[in-house]
Amino acid sequence: MLSLESITKTTQDWLFAKFSPQIALTIECVIVILLAITLFAVLGLVLVLLERKVAARIQIRLGPNRVGPGGIFQTAADTLKLIMKEGLTPDAADKFLFNLAPFIVMMVAMLLLAPIAFAKNFQIWDINIGVLYISSVSSLSVIGILMAGWASNNKYSLLGAMRSGAQIVSYELSAGFAVLTIVVLTGSLQISDIVAAQENGWWLFKGHIPVIIAFVLYIIAVTAETNRAPFDLAEAESELTAGFHTEYSGMKFALFFLAEYINIFIVCAIGATLFLGGWMPLHIGHWENFNHVMDYIPSSVWFMVKTFFLIFLIMWFRWTFPRLRVDQLLNLEWKYLLPISLFNLLLVTVIAIMGWYF
Amino acid sequence: MFLKDYISEVYNGVSSLLKGMRKTGYYFTHSKEIITEQYPDNRATLKLADRFKGEVVMPHDENNEHTCTGCTACELACPNGTIKIITKFDITPEGKKKKAIDAFIYRLEMCTLCNLCVAACPSDAIKMAPNFEHSVFDRSKLTKILNNPGSKIKEGIE
Amino acid sequence: MNISSILFYAISALILGAGILAVTSVKIFRAAIWLLFSLIGIAALYFWMQVEFIAAIQIVVYVGGIVVLIIFSIFLTQHSGKEMNSPARSKKIFSALAALFGTAFVHNLIVHYEGFAFNSAKPFNPSVAEIGTQMLSTTSYGFILPFEVVSMLLLAAMVGCIVIAMRPANTINSEIPNSTTLVNNKD
Repeated sequence: MLSLESITKTTQDWLFAKFSPQIALTIECVIVILLAITLFAVLGLVLVLLERKVAARIQIRLGPNRVGPGGIFQTAADTLKLIMKEGLTPDAADKFLFNLAPFIVMMVAMLLLAPIAFAKNFQIWDINIGVLYISSVSSLSVIGILMAGWASNNKYSLLGAMRSGAQIVSYELSAGFAVLTIVVLTGSLQISDIVAAQENGWWLFKGHIPVIIAFVLYIIAVTAETNRAPFDLAEAESELTAGFHTEYSGMKFALFFLAEYINIFIVCAIGATLFLGGWMPLHIGHWENFNHVMDYIPSSVWFMVKTFFLIFLIMWFRWTFPRLRVDQLLNLEWKYLLPISLFNLLLVTVIAIMGWYF
Repeated sequence: MFLKDYISEVYNGVSSLLKGMRKTGYYFTHSKEIITEQYPDNRATLKLADRFKGEVVMPHDENNEHTCTGCTACELACPNGTIKIITKFDITPEGKKKKAIDAFIYRLEMCTLCNLCVAACPSDAIKMAPNFEHSVFDRSKLTKILNNPGSKIKEGIE
Repeated sequence: MNISSILFYAISALILGAGILAVTSVKIFRAAIWLLFSLIGIAALYFWMQVEFIAAIQIVVYVGGIVVLIIFSIFLTQHSGKEMNSPARSKKIFSALAALFGTAFVHNLIVHYEGFAFNSAKPFNPSVAEIGTQMLSTTSYGFILPFEVVSMLLLAAMVGCIVIAMRPANTINSEIPNSTTLVNNKD
């Protein structure tokens, strides 16, 4: 059967047979980078269209439906427009940092792609601290936002950046604790180990109520971390024009916009890996026939379906809930999410030590 | 008790969020709820609400008769001089003079569609029509004469 | 010269270059950003040494925590966009001397001290489970004591934060009339 695993293996064998190891490694790096950029471009186009369609359906509208059948080329047309636009730099801005910021945000998003397991044995870098790597590198994206906000020399941008900073720094905690519950259950930070531990059932089902609570906390916290509504105070249109990217236009704006969607994809991919078993097919107890049928669906399809389900969930949040105020945002984190996640972590530790999960 | 309040607060918050999500989820899964009108495409089947106010018209029956007596109540009621009524005197068969309208001039470009003229009319001679495609290339085309040429007042309307 | 050493020199150049720029920059926000790049470079060096756990902790603590705090404090002070005055010449000379002595001291240590062997004989197993066990082990070379001392320090810091944040209600009430009278007096 043709799978991503066999394709990568053949490519690697061919490269190492043809070239010296160092050259082969370099070629592999180039291929991986090109694939990552392609993935980014495709994801950007697909997710923006998906968001607009989901928003339209939830608001009882039709959404984009003029460019191409069902409006599927709408985002391609938008991208073309953004490429053609002039990328303005304000006169009083710190020009170097202003131009650097979108690339920082984009680079962080790219780095986060490395440890994600897209399919069975199809992973860029199976680093042994996988989950910790992701939570540490994702904390870098706040730097890009702060940089953009400060360098624009605009009060809206600065306020948006400050809000975003406070938000990301505080919500990182509960996202980290939610991730830790799964680390406690698995006993490893490595993504491949976490996926392998869910072979006979996903953690969401195996881990009783504490893991479900952790899943809910994770979804809430990452929604806040990616600056999505209802936590989009950093770019609150009605108060701050567009927050930290007020002064950006053209392709530099497009990079911020793209990075937002890539970050959503990444946090949802991590969520799917931790709680929904990554590329593992759905297996139910001793229903052998059912499990065999599920095994025939390729692992990459499983991964993508789970990830897009979580992405849809986050979009559903965005178009249902109104934006929070700053004090409500911080109250939610420090008075509710953090104490609950601490208590929940304690509970999960007890479950893990006593072996009360399936 | 503090802990009880805390838990009930969290429960109420989560349940209200879920209620909102159920509503939007219902809209997402039920495409028949979509209310978008694809306007230029569905022009043939487009149906506007009865109370839609697009312009003032004067209905005529099949004998080309209207019910306007030329009392100018609408002209007086109009806040911005949209209506101008030019009256004339018809000679009835009995030889009496009778007041009638010569031209009911209606300037759509000045009209705010406030409905005051329709409310003021004692004989229900004018009404609001659900027509909104008013764009023309020349402003003078927006000045309309509402009574049809050769029309006359219906019998028995004073 | 293989790829590994090329990477090492590239990362070192990034660390040192960003460090020099951080010290010489006249805009305080830019200095913070250069410091950030320098710290990221150190994390990259840890990745190069394949001690990923330390590298991730370096990023979490220094980049995600300390530099963000520094940037916040820059935002909250005035004139963060203005160019700073260049420091006095004596300051420059003394800081240059301090840097020089520091370099000389470290160099001396590396050259003459036998403990810095290039190849450690003990097998190096930086797996996460190993780190966790070592952190809480009570045997020799276990880190239970420093771990607990640091925990106590952090706990004390958190309690201190809460005490500062929780001002008693009566002082707040008594402050409001005071501030209004101050304003009135000024007028």
